[in-house]
Amino acid sequence: MPILSLITFLPLAGALFFIFLPKEQKNLFRIFALMVSLLTFLASLILYFRFDPTTAEPQFVETAHWIGYGINYHLGIDGISLLLVLLTTFLFPIAILSSWKYIQDKVKEYHIFMLLLQTGILGVFVSLNLFLFYVFWEAMLIPMYFLIGIWGGKRRIYATIKFVLFTMFGSLLMLVAIFFLYGTFFNASGFYSMNIFDLQKLVLNPQIQIWLFLAFALAFAIKVPMFPFHTWLPDAHVEAPTAGSVILAAVLLKMGTYGFLRFALPLFPDAVERFVPILGILCIIGIIYGALMALIQKDVKSLVAYSSVSHMGLIMLAVFALNVEAMQGAIYQMLNHGLSTGALFLCVGILYERAHTRMIEDYGGVSKQMPVFSAFFLIALLSSVGLPGLNGFIGEVLCLFGVFQANQTWAILGITTIILAAGYLLWMFQRVMQGPITNEKIHGFKDLNLREIMVFVPIVILMFWMGIYPNTFLKKMEPSVNHLIDQVKNRETYFAQGVSGPAVISAPDHIPARPPFPDNKNHKDIDSR
Amino acid sequence: MNTFTALYPLLSVVAGALCVLLLEVFLKRKNRDYLGFVAIFFLLNAGRECIRLWNRDASYFDGNLLLDNLALFLCLILILTTLFVILISMRYLRLQNANYGEYYALLLFALSGMLIMVSSQDFVVIFLGLEVLSMSSYALAGIKREDERSTEAAVKYFLLGSFASAFLVFGLALLYGAAHSVNIPAIVGFFQAENSLSLMALIGMGLVIIGFGFKIAVVPFHMWTPDVYEGSPTPITAFFSVGPKAVGFAVLLRLFDLFWNEALHSEAVFTGLWVMSVLTMVAGNLIALRQSNIKRILAYSSIAHAGYLMVALLAKDNAGLVFYLTVYLFMNIGAFAAVTALAKKDEEYTDLEDYKGIGFRYPWIGATLMVFLISLAGFPPTGGFLAKFYIFSSAVREGLIPLVIIGVLASLISVFYYLRIVVYMYMHPAARTIEIDAYNPSLFLVLFLCLYGVLQLGIFPGNVLIIIRQAVSALPIL
Repeated sequence: MPILSLITFLPLAGALFFIFLPKEQKNLFRIFALMVSLLTFLASLILYFRFDPTTAEPQFVETAHWIGYGINYHLGIDGISLLLVLLTTFLFPIAILSSWKYIQDKVKEYHIFMLLLQTGILGVFVSLNLFLFYVFWEAMLIPMYFLIGIWGGKRRIYATIKFVLFTMFGSLLMLVAIFFLYGTFFNASGFYSMNIFDLQKLVLNPQIQIWLFLAFALAFAIKVPMFPFHTWLPDAHVEAPTAGSVILAAVLLKMGTYGFLRFALPLFPDAVERFVPILGILCIIGIIYGALMALIQKDVKSLVAYSSVSHMGLIMLAVFALNVEAMQGAIYQMLNHGLSTGALFLCVGILYERAHTRMIEDYGGVSKQMPVFSAFFLIALLSSVGLPGLNGFIGEVLCLFGVFQANQTWAILGITTIILAAGYLLWMFQRVMQGPITNEKIHGFKDLNLREIMVFVPIVILMFWMGIYPNTFLKKMEPSVNHLIDQVKNRETYFAQGVSGPAVISAPDHIPARPPFPDNKNHKDIDSR
Repeated sequence: MNTFTALYPLLSVVAGALCVLLLEVFLKRKNRDYLGFVAIFFLLNAGRECIRLWNRDASYFDGNLLLDNLALFLCLILILTTLFVILISMRYLRLQNANYGEYYALLLFALSGMLIMVSSQDFVVIFLGLEVLSMSSYALAGIKREDERSTEAAVKYFLLGSFASAFLVFGLALLYGAAHSVNIPAIVGFFQAENSLSLMALIGMGLVIIGFGFKIAVVPFHMWTPDVYEGSPTPITAFFSVGPKAVGFAVLLRLFDLFWNEALHSEAVFTGLWVMSVLTMVAGNLIALRQSNIKRILAYSSIAHAGYLMVALLAKDNAGLVFYLTVYLFMNIGAFAAVTALAKKDEEYTDLEDYKGIGFRYPWIGATLMVFLISLAGFPPTGGFLAKFYIFSSAVREGLIPLVIIGVLASLISVFYYLRIVVYMYMHPAARTIEIDAYNPSLFLVLFLCLYGVLQLGIFPGNVLIIIRQAVSALPIL
């Protein structure tokens, strides 16, 4: 059964089916979208249970001829993408459920775009063909653009255009690098391929690697976002509707880190080694800068947005530490960040739905009116801070362990992320939830209803689970992480051991101006697989 | 193979034009809409003849009319363009009080000129076709006789078009002087034997490029485009933005396919085209940012697209160029069809302000227009992405990396103004409610077909690519 295709395209099919639904049945649209996303989640659980955690080889592989010339339909997941797929399918039903009341306008279109977005994101995580990856990577921008632009706040148009242009800027330069890689691979090996496992065998001249790495890294760094490319993030987050922020923070940003793990690191190991010092410093600046910015925010949502910048900085720092512990921690922390920041945005959404303001100063003493909500908010917040027993702790500890092995200064500076996070988050909690009630409106606040509780319960359960028994997830990714580190650090020996296919393919130093290409008219479709 | 059947597509089109002219006399004005169906009948017949001639390398007039597969494929593109334009026009003409019978006749004459141009390798024949096309185009631009802007468009087009023709003829004369022939393979063969380009030949080449540069609207020969596009009736604008551009590139493709080889790789010509391409991509997209009329935005966008097509020309990617033209046909005609749909009796809505909120008011028109704009901007999974992908990837292979980087950044600029239209359609509340004449079955058919085309070419282009490869492999190799 082509289960990956099923999972990826089920939301798309659901979105198309919306055309046939009758008009103006708001609840029908909501229920239908929720059903589709729940079904997708259930299908993705099959992946989890049937996934073989002893190998790093891609699993559930599907291939089909598509356009030819190396551009094929090629899906598969390893331990890293498995977890991200699960995170995505897990969070979408929650996001849809959370927008039940918030979205009253153009309900049908909203859910169509949500489902399209899900297909786009899942596609990014399951593609093993660089072209297919790029297609999903770009296509996913369109629904997000609409979600922010139509259902967003006051400055939504500015925010959404900024989001699209920033992301496109990086991805277009990456596209040029992809072309180059594609051409180089053909010159080196004699056949066309966009299969990432083929491309990884290409040994490139370090000088070329630097340029290609920069192009790829720029695209992914903008998405993550790493300092100094983060400026689109606060705008997009603040203006996006709640569910949009949740998806943006929890899943979209992970596409950037995933891009580093899947493409930038294994394809250009020499360049990575060269750039690690600079990238590490950028990460540390991001960590501290994001946290300091979060401290001074007056708007709850932009506070959470800046905390994202800070936390993603730690994740990237762990990625660049290039050892197994750090890498595992980074991936684990990607999941944690998805859950905890997603939950924080949900909390902000709950507050906003009641008071229609996001300013911290407008709140105070909310916990008196909403004790249940207060509990959930506190758990989400502590998970983000990294309290032992909750998921964030495991991830942060692993990250910092690994980083410490690689570079002690980094680790010492990186640890500020936890200290400062405790500062700005708890301070925010204190100002918003505790103290006397200053705003008359707050007296009218109602505590969470059943639907809203249902939004939080799965996340909270998972937070505790991941904090108490992390092995559920860690063991799935271990071989893939080892494999990745092996690829980056010991490339020659790794391929000399004779993984499947031809061994290392060395590329010429540059693409000759007139390549030994058969003329355009006489192309033969030689395909590796 | 020298056979009279090679003339059938052309004859069918010309016969259609004459038939329309003749019938017009006998029809009352309100019945003239039916002339469109007559024209469509002849167009379909011409298309059928083209398909029957596939792979037969038919020629006539001593090879001066040569229907190789490339020519046939381009003929089909042009016939499809005209067909779409007629379908868009049928209701529009009545709404805008321009339902003159000669409209369809002129369209068919213009088409016949284009068919001649793509199916010849002889510059004199190409020039004849160009003049047939141009004369009909001038009249079509001014077909809304009572409208000042339409008349202005016609006059501007005529004056500047005549200039361009003069450049072209002068260039041809110089080329003839240098190479003693007006036949493209013969000219290139002569240069190859000489192993160099004389100064006269170089100037001749330059003037020929200028002449065609005008038709395909590349910077700095684009000045006429926005005014003509804005003033002409919208379906005619759609026609201008696709037809003449495809033809111009077809001729340049035939010329440069032979011209680009080691011996003749003239730095001057190459650099000239390189600079034109960069200017076109950058200027076209930058100026489009400042426009507030959707027809002008699409005019500048079509200029920018000429720039991308020039990249294909420089990258020697014939298949990519033809594929781009095919995709461009669907997305641009589609966009203009959607613009045409937003009209009522005696009124057209072309100002961006009018587009506020229409995405939700007219969901189908809005959604299709959105897809066309996204395709023009080059987002996957539409045809526009794949088309750009092909030409830019072959340009990188040819080592034109700076050109490609400029190209992708220019297309980043274009994302802004295409999305700006989408912003108006979906993200602004309606400023004033516009009423449109929603009964327009033929136009909706075009919208649907173009949507299908854009998605099919973006997601499953396989068969079309195979056909295009067959078509370009028919080019003669020196």
